[in-house]
Amino acid sequence: MTAPPTARAAAGSSRATPDGAAPGGASPRRRGLRSPRTRARALELAFLAPAALYLLLFFAYPVAKNVVMGFQEYTTRTFFTGEAPWVGLDNYAAVLGSSLFDRALLNTVLFTGGSILGQFVLGLAIAVFFQRRFPLSGLLRSLLLLPWLVPLIVTSAVWRWMLDQDNGVINRAIGLLPLVDARPGWLTSTSLALLAVVLVNIWIGIPFNTTILYGGLQEIPGELYEAGALDGATGWRAFRHITWPLLRPVVTVVLVLGVVYTLKVLDIILGLTGGGPANATQTLSTQSYELSFRQFDFGQGAALGNVLIVISLVFAAVYLRANRRAVDE
Amino acid sequence: MTETTGRAAPTTSPQPPAAPAVTAPRSARRSRPVGEHGWGSTAVGVAIIAVMLFPLYWMLNVSLQRSSGAVATPVLPFDLSFDGYATALREQSGNLLTSLVVAVGAVVLSLLVATPAAYALAQLRIRWAGGVLLAVLVSQMVPGIVIANALYSAYSDLGLLNSVAGLVLADAGLGIPFGILIMRAFMSAIPTSVVEAARVDGAGQVRAFVSVVLPMSRNALITAGLFTFLFAWGDFLFALTLTTTGEVRPVTLGIYTYIGTFVNDWSAVMATAVLASLPALLLLVVAQRYVSAGVTGGAVK
Amino acid sequence: MVRRGTSHRALTAALALGVPLALAGCGGGDQAVGGSGGGGGGGGDGTTLRVLDYYNNEPDKTVFQDVIDACGEAAGVAIEREAVPGNDLISTVLQQSSSRTLPDVLMLDNPDLQEIAASGALAPLSQFGITAEGYADGVVEASTYDGELYGLQPVTNTIALFYNEALLAEAGVEPPTTWEELESAAAALTTGDRYGLAFSAINTYEGTWQFLPFMWSNGGDESDIATPETAEALQLWVDLVSSGSASQSVVNWSQADVNDQFAAGNAAMQINGPWQFPVLDAVDGLDYGVVQIPAPSAGDTVVAPFGGETWTVPQTGDADRQALAAQVVQCINDDDNMVTLATERGTVPTKPALVDAAVEAQPAIEPFAEQLPDLRSRTGELGEEWPTAATAIYTAVQDALVNGTDPAEALAAAQSGS
Repeated sequence: MTAPPTARAAAGSSRATPDGAAPGGASPRRRGLRSPRTRARALELAFLAPAALYLLLFFAYPVAKNVVMGFQEYTTRTFFTGEAPWVGLDNYAAVLGSSLFDRALLNTVLFTGGSILGQFVLGLAIAVFFQRRFPLSGLLRSLLLLPWLVPLIVTSAVWRWMLDQDNGVINRAIGLLPLVDARPGWLTSTSLALLAVVLVNIWIGIPFNTTILYGGLQEIPGELYEAGALDGATGWRAFRHITWPLLRPVVTVVLVLGVVYTLKVLDIILGLTGGGPANATQTLSTQSYELSFRQFDFGQGAALGNVLIVISLVFAAVYLRANRRAVDE
Repeated sequence: MTETTGRAAPTTSPQPPAAPAVTAPRSARRSRPVGEHGWGSTAVGVAIIAVMLFPLYWMLNVSLQRSSGAVATPVLPFDLSFDGYATALREQSGNLLTSLVVAVGAVVLSLLVATPAAYALAQLRIRWAGGVLLAVLVSQMVPGIVIANALYSAYSDLGLLNSVAGLVLADAGLGIPFGILIMRAFMSAIPTSVVEAARVDGAGQVRAFVSVVLPMSRNALITAGLFTFLFAWGDFLFALTLTTTGEVRPVTLGIYTYIGTFVNDWSAVMATAVLASLPALLLLVVAQRYVSAGVTGGAVK
Repeated sequence: MVRRGTSHRALTAALALGVPLALAGCGGGDQAVGGSGGGGGGGGDGTTLRVLDYYNNEPDKTVFQDVIDACGEAAGVAIEREAVPGNDLISTVLQQSSSRTLPDVLMLDNPDLQEIAASGALAPLSQFGITAEGYADGVVEASTYDGELYGLQPVTNTIALFYNEALLAEAGVEPPTTWEELESAAAALTTGDRYGLAFSAINTYEGTWQFLPFMWSNGGDESDIATPETAEALQLWVDLVSSGSASQSVVNWSQADVNDQFAAGNAAMQINGPWQFPVLDAVDGLDYGVVQIPAPSAGDTVVAPFGGETWTVPQTGDADRQALAAQVVQCINDDDNMVTLATERGTVPTKPALVDAAVEAQPAIEPFAEQLPDLRSRTGELGEEWPTAATAIYTAVQDALVNGTDPAEALAAAQSGS
């Protein structure tokens, strides 16, 4: 996200008090809350208040609970007895030291990187393509969001059938190709499983990327392109010098959110491979679920969940800082 | 976004090139001249959509087969059967309505809460805006299960379990942070000059927001609302954890219990999924028309 | 029986169990163990008992409804019953455990009893004068925790080898009785697109469940799976897949998927359980037979795991209600009901004495019934530690089948890594 507007916003707020009270509020007849500046301030904060309240209740509180649980020994016994003894960093030690952690971490990085790359590039390409006006473009564009209407349970089931090694549609189609004799075990071989899962995730993510990027592209005034065309900037040059810079804020949102959402992805992987085969598609997210709900060690599951949140945070911070620097340059 | 305001000035000076700018705002925003692309592009568009939607075709295919396991499903439903749909309609129509109500409610609540916040973060100068944004972003990093977990106990104490209101509140959480982030990105593009013009004319903060900023952000609002609807419609986690009886049951949960019940009758399951997609599809088509309109262009000048 | 409906083990199971976390904060320690008001869901005068089970499919749902209603009547109580999808049961139990709203009568899948009993949520049945006399040993073991009986299980089932009669006749192959015969039969039956055998080697407890008969029959043990006996069993599976007699996709198939394959004719034989009878019977033109899972060598006993659900009495804090609940549990387990439940649901009574009556009424059950005395409890040895061992087993199986790791090595790695 770009830095909050500074200079011009400052100019804006000082002009927000047209009735002439000194900005510093140094009027001798201070009327406390009724002073126009404070009231204006309060009003501005009021814009934010509902959202802040919601975030506190629905996000801060659960996170706090999860952080606490990461330090406790929380098992099925706890549900009945209510006892969750404090174990300090034991859960984290167990989770980070487990042999699966490295594998899961690697898979998470590959899965996220691959998914985002694919989703974004294809999403942007399709969004740019749909900038043209052609018959049925509106209809086709709305159809693109159709995959999102289908519950993930159903989507993952459908993809499982399609990717079945023996009878799946994909392999049947490959079988029709003249020179190819392979029947890839998409979900059953360690080398292909992660790829398959990434491809399905890309498929799922394209509508999201396309729609938002399309909206962003629509915001760019046409006359800029026309003016640019006069200067000889068309096609790729136009994209680089006009489209890309103006699309930047939207791109940032899409990328950062994309990574954050992808790190959390659980349903698709569970639906397709359950983390297998032989842990080939086990990510930090699926591992956290496995710890909590298959082994009933909620403390460890929570610990791993917190690790995941921290990773998200670090990525977001690093990316945003890098982005800000790029924008400033 | 200072680049926008920086560039806008030079481009309005020379007269002849301004001619295209005088035409209707809609065409001025197209990046390529109208009508140059015809059915060729449509063909490409159809191909793209066909590839993207193939799995959904498969879903439709299975729904039209006789009930069975889905292993050897032929590519085309030669043996048409509407059994699946009959079962689905009979059992899931109530759930479809519930889903619709919850999703619409979530959209309304989300937009009410997120839009002012997005505006505040984008245009008003708030000292800790960066912090708030980060908090919003972090909220998106929290795994859903963590949230559902905490909400359950709170809802249980407050008596909000098994209620449409409770679900609306929870599902709004799917849209508020996201809506703030998206709309803020869009709203940052609105030049302050426009807002200030309104203020100078005597409009208060709220008035300026409602009469000037909102209409200009229609595109952003629609996009945010659309995704909130989709998130809420497809939500399964909250539906599962925040309801304990069958009174209030969104269709995602309906499908899930279906799968649990009819392990081998995928046609009924797929039929429900297809039916579940229809109302939302209608809304999509309608909304997309608004997204394509976009409004910013006109006010810049 | 491994829970049915796990073919979509996806987020369904995942999120289904998200609920208990919800309870993490709720209830917890700040609610005293429920007084008389805490546990009763129905009328305050204690004449309505709440029952929780996962028989939400037909025919189970109706069959059990009838039995439970009759038992309620016999005990002089009204019954309020809740049937949830299989994957939801544990999460519901944990949820109710935490909010002190456990039902009066609770059905549990037998391997889950240990975990729940360990948490203190169940009442020992001995305090109601209930014993498990006349029941098969393995069954009793599963329902016993720390020397105390906590549940009574009326019927059970296990897995066996289903074969497609037409396909076997065509190939001139007899249903195999030993591992060697299994391998050759499967090889002979593998032609073109059809595999000789299908089984589930998925990375969930279902995969473990399918592997157990092979492991146990050969002398393997779950307390330490890094033994030559277990390695031999795993080698059998590896050979079946590598020789092409079984599809590589077994690592991703649940039992429901396996059944689909068999029903569609993609596999000539399958390893599955009697709950598939209704599905298979509905398939046009499919004639199938059932035999016991092949033993390692001729004359060996086949030791298989057993499924089925056990009925327990949770601690609700109300002694009277619990006594009434115990009566209901006892009634569900009486001889007549046992036979009824067995015959109407394709399962086997847990009392060896009643097996003949059940088989007479439903001959198709025989291959499963004859294994009753040798059925072995999954949790008998390890109790609550079973999930860890179960995970190790399917991890090793996947490792060997997918990565090509030598079975002995795979097992050793899984055993130590867990």
